Amino acid sequence: MPELRIVVCVKVVPKSEEIRVDYATKLLDRSNARSEINPPDMNALEIALGVKDRYGGRVDIISMGPPYFEPWLRVGLAMGCDHIYLLSDRAFGGADTLATTYTLARGIEKSGGVDLIICGEESADGATGQVPAGLAEWLNISQLTLLTEISLDLERRVATGRRSLKGGYEILEAPLPCLVSAKTAGNEPRFMDFKRKNWAYETERVTIWNAADLKADPDHIGLKGSPTTVSELASMPVRERKRKQVDGNFQSAVEELVSIIRGAL
Amino acid sequence: MADDVRLQLDDDLVERLNALTGGAAAVCYQCGTCTASCPWGLVREDHLPVRTIIHQAQLGVPGWQDKLWLCTTCGQCEALCPRGVKIIDVFRGLRELAWESNHVEKGLPSLLWSIYWNENPWSQPPSQRAAWARGLDIPVFDDKKHEILLYVGCTSSYDRRAQKIARALVTVLNTAGVKFGYLGNDEPCCGESALSVGNLDYFNEIVNKTAGIFNEKKVTQLIAISPHCYDVFKNHYPQTADTFKPLHYTQYLAQLITDGRLKFPGALKEKITFQDPCYLGRHNAEYEGPRQVLSAIPEAEVIEMAANRSDGLCCGGGGGRMWLETINAERFSNLRAKEAEKTGAGILATACPFCIVCLEDSAKNLIPGKLRVLDIAEIAALALEKPRE
Amino acid sequence: MPPSRYGVNEESKSIWVYLEQEEGILENVSLEMLSKGREMADLLKWKLVGLLLGSGVGPLALEAIARGADEVRVADHPLLAQFTIEGHGLVVFDAVMQGKPSIFLLGATLNGRDLAGRLAVRFRTGLNADCTNLHMDEKDGLLVSEVSGFGGGVVAMIEMHNHRPQMATVRPGVFEMREPDITRKGDIINIPVELKPEQIKTRILERVRSGVVDLTRVPVLVVGGRGVNGDFVILKKLADLLGGDVGATRPPVDAGHIERERQIGQTGVVSSPKVALCCGLSGAFHLLVGIEKADVVVSINTDPDAPIFEFSDYYIVGDVGQYLPALIQTLQSQREASHA
Repeated sequence: MPELRIVVCVKVVPKSEEIRVDYATKLLDRSNARSEINPPDMNALEIALGVKDRYGGRVDIISMGPPYFEPWLRVGLAMGCDHIYLLSDRAFGGADTLATTYTLARGIEKSGGVDLIICGEESADGATGQVPAGLAEWLNISQLTLLTEISLDLERRVATGRRSLKGGYEILEAPLPCLVSAKTAGNEPRFMDFKRKNWAYETERVTIWNAADLKADPDHIGLKGSPTTVSELASMPVRERKRKQVDGNFQSAVEELVSIIRGAL
Repeated sequence: MADDVRLQLDDDLVERLNALTGGAAAVCYQCGTCTASCPWGLVREDHLPVRTIIHQAQLGVPGWQDKLWLCTTCGQCEALCPRGVKIIDVFRGLRELAWESNHVEKGLPSLLWSIYWNENPWSQPPSQRAAWARGLDIPVFDDKKHEILLYVGCTSSYDRRAQKIARALVTVLNTAGVKFGYLGNDEPCCGESALSVGNLDYFNEIVNKTAGIFNEKKVTQLIAISPHCYDVFKNHYPQTADTFKPLHYTQYLAQLITDGRLKFPGALKEKITFQDPCYLGRHNAEYEGPRQVLSAIPEAEVIEMAANRSDGLCCGGGGGRMWLETINAERFSNLRAKEAEKTGAGILATACPFCIVCLEDSAKNLIPGKLRVLDIAEIAALALEKPRE
Repeated sequence: MPPSRYGVNEESKSIWVYLEQEEGILENVSLEMLSKGREMADLLKWKLVGLLLGSGVGPLALEAIARGADEVRVADHPLLAQFTIEGHGLVVFDAVMQGKPSIFLLGATLNGRDLAGRLAVRFRTGLNADCTNLHMDEKDGLLVSEVSGFGGGVVAMIEMHNHRPQMATVRPGVFEMREPDITRKGDIINIPVELKPEQIKTRILERVRSGVVDLTRVPVLVVGGRGVNGDFVILKKLADLLGGDVGATRPPVDAGHIERERQIGQTGVVSSPKVALCCGLSGAFHLLVGIEKADVVVSINTDPDAPIFEFSDYYIVGDVGQYLPALIQTLQSQREASHA
C-alpha cells in the first residue's frame, strides 16, 4: 500500500487583541502585532499527527502567505510534520476565500496525491470558516467537518469521523481522499519535540512556490480573484467593563437589576 | 499462589535517567522515609509511592506514569532523606522522558504552548502583562538609574489576587525610597513552570532567552515576587561571577529594614502565622527573612504553626499542579488553613503567589471570615498605613 | 476575475433563503432570515423565496409563507431526509441555477456553513460569512453585509458588485423572528429531484442528540459558583424566566451539585450570551474566559473584593440567597402583569 499522505492547511495570524485598523487604507495594521499559528490549525495539526501515529505516513503543511510565515510553519515540523509547502507571491495578496481556496487547491494538487486534507475550522482573523468546504469543492472530494476524532479504514479507503453537533454528535463516514476540518479546541495539540526542533529549524524541507510555479490563473488569485470587496472597516474597542456598583436599598437594587437585564436582552 | 510478575528491565532507560539526573537515583537505599513524609499520604489512601518510583528508576522499570504528576516538588522528602537523594531531580527526569513519548497529563502541553505564544503560562494576552500596574507610574528599568529590577512574574502580573501583592510591594518600595524599575509588557517569563513539569529542553531555551534579555538590559540585582521565579534565577540561570544577584522580595525587605530604610512607625496589632513557601524555605534555606519583616512591625505577634520552617506543609501548587485539577478532598491547602486557624492567628502570612491563591481559597471555603490570608508585602503595606503613635 | 455561473444581467430580482430544518422543525435562524428578508424585499419590491429540502416537509412550506415568504420551492425526496453535503449541495445548486436569485442567504449553522462554503465555489461567487447585519443599497440592489473578525475586534462591510448570487451566511440570533401571519398568501412550487443513492458519498452511521442544551449561544447564562451552596434549582428557575440556561464554575461541579457539561470556562464551555449573570462566584481566570464574550456581565457576591466585580458591567455586593428569590419574584409578577 502506498504511503498515507496527509496535508494540513496552516495559516499564521496576528494576535487578535494586537490588531489596529488603518482607516485611510481600509486595511489592517498588523505591524505591531505578534504572530502565532492560527489556534484552530494547531488542532488540525494534532489530528494529522494522531493519524500519522496510528497509521504511518507523512504529514505535509501547506500555507498561503508571505515569506515571514516560514519560522512559524517550522513549529509544525517540530511537532512531527515532514515538509512545508509555502505558496508565496505578491499576487496572492488581498485574496478572499474564493481566491484563497483556489490557490491552496492548486498548491495541493501540485504537491502530489493526497489521502487526507485537514484544516482548522476557521481562522482567528477572518473567521469565515469557509475555507474547508470551499477547498473540498475545488478539489472535488468528500468532506467531514468539525471533527474531534477520526479513524481510517485503509482497505476500504474511508474515513470515519466524530462530528460535533449542537447538544450531541454524529458519526460520519466518507471516502478518501477526504477533506476534514478540525473542531476548534477539540483536542490538545502536542508540544514540540525538542530533539526534532533543532532539525526542524535547519532542514531544507521547505518548498516555496509562487503563482507561476502553480500555473495559477492570474484572474483567479489574490485581489483580482476576489468577488467580495470591503467598503468599510472599523475596529471595535477592547471591551472595558462598566464596573458599576448597583447600590441603594434592597428593593430598588432588585428592580434596577431586573431592568438592567431586560435592557440587555 | 500469586502469579509470577515478570519485570522488564530497560537498561537504556537507566542510562538516560542517569544522564538526565546526574545519577540521582543511584544512592537511594530504599528506606522509605520519602514515601512516609510525602504530604500525599495525608490526603489519600493510595499515597504517592516515592520510594517505589525511585526504585523503578534505578532498575529501569516503566509504569510510574500515572502518579508521576502528583508530585508538587515540595521537597519534604529530600529534607528528610538520609542519603541526600535528589528526589526532585529524579521526578523531573522521569517527567522529561514522559514528554519524549508524549505521555503527559492533560493540560500540560497547553501550558507550554501558552508560554510559547504568550510569554506566560496563564494563556493571557502578552500585551496585557503590565495592566496590573496601571496608574502606578513604575518606570521602565534603567540600569543607570535603578538599584534593582522588580521582576513581577507571570502569576502576579495576571492573577487578580496575586496582582494585589505586586501593588502592595510597589507601595512599600516607594515608601522606603527604593529606586526601582520594571520591564512592563516586555518582561519575559522565567520558565519555572516548564522546569516544574519536566520539559527540560524547553526550560533551557527559555533560560537562554530570558538571561539574554537580562544581559542586554544590564540587570544585575533583581527581586522576584514568586519564590519559584527566585529559585530558577538563583539556581538555574547562568551566574556570571558576581554580576547576577537575584533575591526574593522578602529578603530584600529584610535588608531594607536592617539598613534602616524601611521603618514601621505605627503599630499593627495582629496575631500572624507564617506559611513557609517550599521554594523559599526548603529549596533555598530562607526561613528568617520573611519573619524578620513581620517582627519589625510593632505589636505584630508572630505565632508559629506546629509544623514550620523545613517541616512546613506545601500548599499544593508547585510541580505544575497550579495547572492541574486537584479535587477538594485532596487539597493540602485545606489542611494547612486549618493548621493556621489552630494557632489562633487572625492573619496567615504568605510569601508566594501560589500559596496565597491556594490558601485563601481553602480559608474562604472551610473557615470563612476566620482567617485573612495576606502576603508579606500586603501586611507591610497595611502596617505602613498605621499612624505613628 | 472569472465570472460567476450567472451574472447580474441574468439575475432575478429576488432574495432566496435556505430553510434549514431538522426533523420537521424549521431552524430559528431560517425564520430570522425570513423576517429580515421580508424587510429587504419590501424595500426593493423584490420577491422573497424560501428553499426547503427534506422528506415529508410540506407543512413547513406553509409556515415559511406565514413567516414572510412570497414563494417556497420545495424539494421533497427520501434521500434528502438527513442533511448530506452531496445530496443537499446538488439539489440546492440546481434550484438556484434555475431561479438565479440576486441574493441567497443561509444560516451560519454547522451545516449551513458547509453548504454555503461549497456552493459559493461551485457558483464561482463570493460569500460573506457569519454576518451580524445586512442591509440593502436601494439604488443598485447591492447587499451590504456586516462581518466581524479578530475575535470581534474588527468589523467590516462587504459588498459584491459583479458576481451572483450575493451569498451570505447569517449568524443565528442577530435578527428578530416575526410572528407568523397565517393570512399571508404565497406560492408553493415543488421541485423535481433526481438523486441517486450513489451520488451521496457521506454515510451517517450514528447521530446522538443528548438532552443537554448548547450553552455556547444561550441569550442568558446564569452561572453559579461556590456561593450558591449547591442550589441550582433556583438558578434554573431564574434562567427559565429569562429564557436562558444555567452554567457553573468548577467548585460546584467538583462537589457534584451539577453536571460537568455545564462547567463554564477555559476547560469547559465558552459562551457568548447577551447577559451573563454571575452568582456567588469569585471570578477566577478559568471562568472569565468562558464569559468574556458576554454583552453584559452582571454579578452578585458577598465579598466586596471579589475579582469578578472588576470584570462586570454591573455588580451587587450582596447575598445571592436573598437576591435570587427577589429577582424571581419580581420577574414573575412582571410577567403576570403583562399577561393580564
